Amino acid sequence: MRRVSSLLACAALLALVAPVMAATRGPAAGQTLKAGVIADVTGAAGVYGSVQRNAYELANEDIRSGLLDSGGVNLTFSVQDAATDANQVANLMQRFTTDGSAIILGPTLSAEAFKTDPIAVKANIPILATSNTADGITAQGPCVFRNSLSEAQVVPATVDKTAAMWKYKTAAIIYGDDNAFTKADYDIFKAALDKRNVKIVDVETFHTNDVDFQAQLTKIKSKSPDVIVNGSLFPEATKIINQAGKLGLKAHMMGGNGLNSPKMYEVAGPNAEGVVVGSAWFIGGQTGGNGTFVARYQKRFGSLPDQFAAQAYAAAQIIASLAREGNVTPAALCNGMKNLKTVQTVLGPYSFEPNRDARGAPVVLQIVKDGFASLK
Amino acid sequence: MLTFYAQHSKLIDQIGINALLALSLSVSLQAGQLALAQAAFMAVGAYTAAFLGAKAGWPLIGCALAGAALAALVAALLSFPIRRLRGVFLAIATIGFGEIIRIIINNLSITGGAEGFSGIPNDADTRWIYGSLAVVGAVFFLLRDSRFTLAMSLTREDEQAARGVGVDTAAVRLWTLVAGGAIAGLAGALYAHNNFFVQPGDFAFGRAEQILVYCVIGGTTSPIGAMLGAALLSLLPEIFRFLQDYRDIVNGGILLLVVLFAPRGISSLWRRA
Amino acid sequence: MLSQQIANGLFLGAVYALFAIGYTLVFGVLDILNLAHAAVFMAAAFVALVLNAAGVPLLAALLLAMFFAGMLGILVDRVAFAPLRRRNAGTLVPLISSIGVAIIIEATVRGVFGIDERHFPRTPAASVALHAGSITFTALDVAIFATALVLMAVLAYVMRATALGRNIRAVAEDRVAAALLGIDLERTIALTFFIASALGGAAGVLVGLQYDSVTTSMGSRIELRGLAVIILGGMGSITGAVIGGFILGAVETLSIAYVGSQWRDALAFGVMFLILILRPTGILGKRALRSA
Repeated sequence: MRRVSSLLACAALLALVAPVMAATRGPAAGQTLKAGVIADVTGAAGVYGSVQRNAYELANEDIRSGLLDSGGVNLTFSVQDAATDANQVANLMQRFTTDGSAIILGPTLSAEAFKTDPIAVKANIPILATSNTADGITAQGPCVFRNSLSEAQVVPATVDKTAAMWKYKTAAIIYGDDNAFTKADYDIFKAALDKRNVKIVDVETFHTNDVDFQAQLTKIKSKSPDVIVNGSLFPEATKIINQAGKLGLKAHMMGGNGLNSPKMYEVAGPNAEGVVVGSAWFIGGQTGGNGTFVARYQKRFGSLPDQFAAQAYAAAQIIASLAREGNVTPAALCNGMKNLKTVQTVLGPYSFEPNRDARGAPVVLQIVKDGFASLK
Repeated sequence: MLTFYAQHSKLIDQIGINALLALSLSVSLQAGQLALAQAAFMAVGAYTAAFLGAKAGWPLIGCALAGAALAALVAALLSFPIRRLRGVFLAIATIGFGEIIRIIINNLSITGGAEGFSGIPNDADTRWIYGSLAVVGAVFFLLRDSRFTLAMSLTREDEQAARGVGVDTAAVRLWTLVAGGAIAGLAGALYAHNNFFVQPGDFAFGRAEQILVYCVIGGTTSPIGAMLGAALLSLLPEIFRFLQDYRDIVNGGILLLVVLFAPRGISSLWRRA
Repeated sequence: MLSQQIANGLFLGAVYALFAIGYTLVFGVLDILNLAHAAVFMAAAFVALVLNAAGVPLLAALLLAMFFAGMLGILVDRVAFAPLRRRNAGTLVPLISSIGVAIIIEATVRGVFGIDERHFPRTPAASVALHAGSITFTALDVAIFATALVLMAVLAYVMRATALGRNIRAVAEDRVAAALLGIDLERTIALTFFIASALGGAAGVLVGLQYDSVTTSMGSRIELRGLAVIILGGMGSITGAVIGGFILGAVETLSIAYVGSQWRDALAFGVMFLILILRPTGILGKRALRSA
C-alpha cells in the first residue's frame, strides 16, 4: 500500500516538474520578447476581445510555468484594450511600434486592421492577426499574417453543409454595410449562394450600433426566403436573431464568424437555436494540447473557451515556437513565420499558406442551448 | 525638450487643431449666432483634403486650401435656408444639418462610407498646424478694431437696433458663417493629414458640442479665449488620464463651474483683473 | 407587410413620443433646451437594470427608475438652471450648463458600469411571437406600447385636470403673470422637471427592454431624434411631441421599408431640417421665432 502511494507521489511530483523540465533552452534563451496585443476587451467587440485577453493571460501563465515552452526566452503578451474604438487602436498600434515590441497581435476587428495595420507595416513590425477574417488582410504587407481562417475559406463550407441539410432555393441576406468584415460576409455568402443557383430574394442593410431591425426583418419576411444570411457582429447579431423570432420569421438562419460566440444563446435567447455558423475550431479537438487548454481555461475563467480564445492561444503557441528557434527580433519573427514548419496548436497542426493566410479546415457548427454542436 | 515633444506630439497637434475649430465657432458666436455646424464643415474639409491627398497626390497646401474653400461653399449654401432662424431654432437646424452631412458621408462610397478614408498622406505636422493657427490668429488680430468686427458686435447685442443704424445684418450672418466654415474646413484638412484615417464618427454631434464647450469656457466673444478653452480642455483629459472613465467628470465639472461662476468664460476673469 | 411596418412604426413612435415630451415640457416652461435629458434617460435604464437583476419585478423597477429619474431631473435643475435663472442669463448659457451636467452623469454611469452592453434578464414574454391578423409582435411589445400610452394619458390628465397642471401651463404661458397670481414658481418648475425626467426615464427603461440593450451611449442615440420630434411637433406643445413622435417613428420605419435602410437617418433629419426652414413652429407649436 505504501509502495503504491509513494509511487503515486513520485508520479505526481514528476507531473509537476515535467512541464518545467519540458521547457527547453533555445538559442535565444534569456532574451526578452515583448508581444503587443491590441484587443477590444470592452465595447461592441468586447465579446471577442475579452476572451482573447483571457487566452493571452493564460498563455503568460503557461510560459512562466513552463507548460508553454518558449525556449527560455522571456516572452510576454501585453494586452491593451482598444475599446472597439478605431482611434484607440491606431494609438496602440503606434505605441507598439515604438516601445520595443517585436510583434503585434490583433486588432480584433478586420475593419480596425485595415485602418491601422499600415502603421505597423511602415515600421516593419510583423503582425499576427487572430480574428481578422475579411479578404485582403494579409495583402497589406509582407509581414502581416493571420491564423484565423478567412470568411472566404469558411463560408463555402457553411453553405455546402446547410444546402445539404435544408435544401433551400431562396435566400435573404441582412448585413452591416459599414464594416469591412460584415461587408465581406455579404460578398462571400452571395458568391457561394449564386454558385448554387440559390435565388437571393432580398438584401437588407443596417449600421453598426443599430438596435432596431424590425423594418428590415419585416421586409424580409414578406419575401418568404427559405434561409436568411446573418452577416453581422455580435451585438447586432443577437438582436437580429431575437427580433426575427419575435416577428415570427420561420426561415433557417446561417451566419459568418461574428456569430461564433457561445454567448449567442445566452443573449439572443431560444430563437438562436438552430442557427448555423462556420468556425475554425472545434472544442472537442484533442490535438496540440487542446483538451488541457479547454480544461485549464474553464478552471481559470469559469467558462468554456471559444474560437476566439483558441485562436489567440494558438497564436501564443506559434510565437512561443518561433522563440524556441531563437527568433526574437521583428525581422527574425517575420522570417520565421514565412518559413514556419508545422506547429502543434489547439487549432490542430498549424502552418501558413504561401500568402500568409491561415491553413486549416473549417468546422460547421450549430447553436444549441449550451453552446455549439458540430455538424458532421 | 525634444523628447517631451516626441512623446506628446500627438497631443500638441490636437491642441492646435482644436484651437482652430474653436476660432471657427467664435466667429459665429461673436455675431450672436449659435450656428453649431462646425463639425460638418470640418468633415467637408477633412474628406476633401483626404481625397485630394490620397487619390490625386496634391501637396498639403493645395489640399488644405481646397478643403477650406469647399467648406466655405457649403457654409454659404447653408446660410440661405437658415437665414430667418434665431436662437435655439438656429442651433437645432445647424445641428440637424451637421447630422445630414455626416449621414451623407456615411453612405457615399467615394468617401469610404462608414469605414472612413484611410491611406491619407501623413504630412500635416506641428509646424503646418501652428503655422495655420498663427495665420488665422493674425487675421483676427488685424481685424479686431475693424468695422466688420464692430458690425458683428452690434448684431450680437441687438439685431434690430443694428439694422436701425445701418448694419447689413444679413451680410454679417452670411460672412461669419462662411468665415467660420472656411476655418473649420482648414482644421478638418489638417486633421485628416495628421491622422491615419478619418471616419464619419469623428464629425458627429459630439464634436460640435465639444467645440461649443471650448468657446464657452474660454470666452464666447473672445478669439483668444476660444483658443485658451481649446487648449485647456484638450489637456485636461491627458492630465486626468489616471481617472480613466471618470475623467470626463472633470470636463463636465469645469464646464459647470465656468458657466455658473464665470459665464463670460475664463478669459473674462483675466481681463477683469 | 404594410400593416406590420405600420405596427413597427407605432411601437417605435410611442417611445420617441415619451422621450420627447420631456424636452418639450421643459422648453415650454423655461424656454430652454435641457440637453441633460438624454443622460437621465440612460441613467434610469441602468437603475432599472440593476434593480431587476437584484430581483425587483419589472413593473416596480420601472416605477422606481422613474422616481430616480424625476429626482435626478430636479437635481439637474438645481445645479444647472436655477442659479442662472436668478441671474437672468438668457438661453445660451443654460444650454451649456446642461451639457456640463450631461457629461457628468454620463461619465459617472460609464465609470460605474463600463461601456459594455448590458441586458435585462430574459423573459419568455420577450421571445414568443403573437399574431393579430397579419401583424406579429410579442407580449413585451404590447406591454411597452401600453405603458407608454398609459403614461402619456396620465400626463394629459395631470396637465388638464389638476392644479399642478394648471400651474405648469400658466408658468409656460407667462412666467411673470403666473408669479403675480401667486403661483410658487420654483416649486412648479421643480415639479415640471420631475415629471419631464420621470417620463424620459421611463422611455429609457422601455427602450432598454424593447431592444434588449442598455449601454452608456443609448442616450446620444436618441437625443437628436428627440430634438427632431419636438421640432416636428412644435416646441412647447405636448400634443405636438406625441404626434411628432409617432410621425417620426412612421417615417423611419417606412423609409427603411420602401426607400432603403441606409437613408433612414438622413430622412429623419431631413424632415426636421425642412420643417425648420418652412415652418419652424412645427405642426402645433405656437411660439414665434425668438431672438438669441
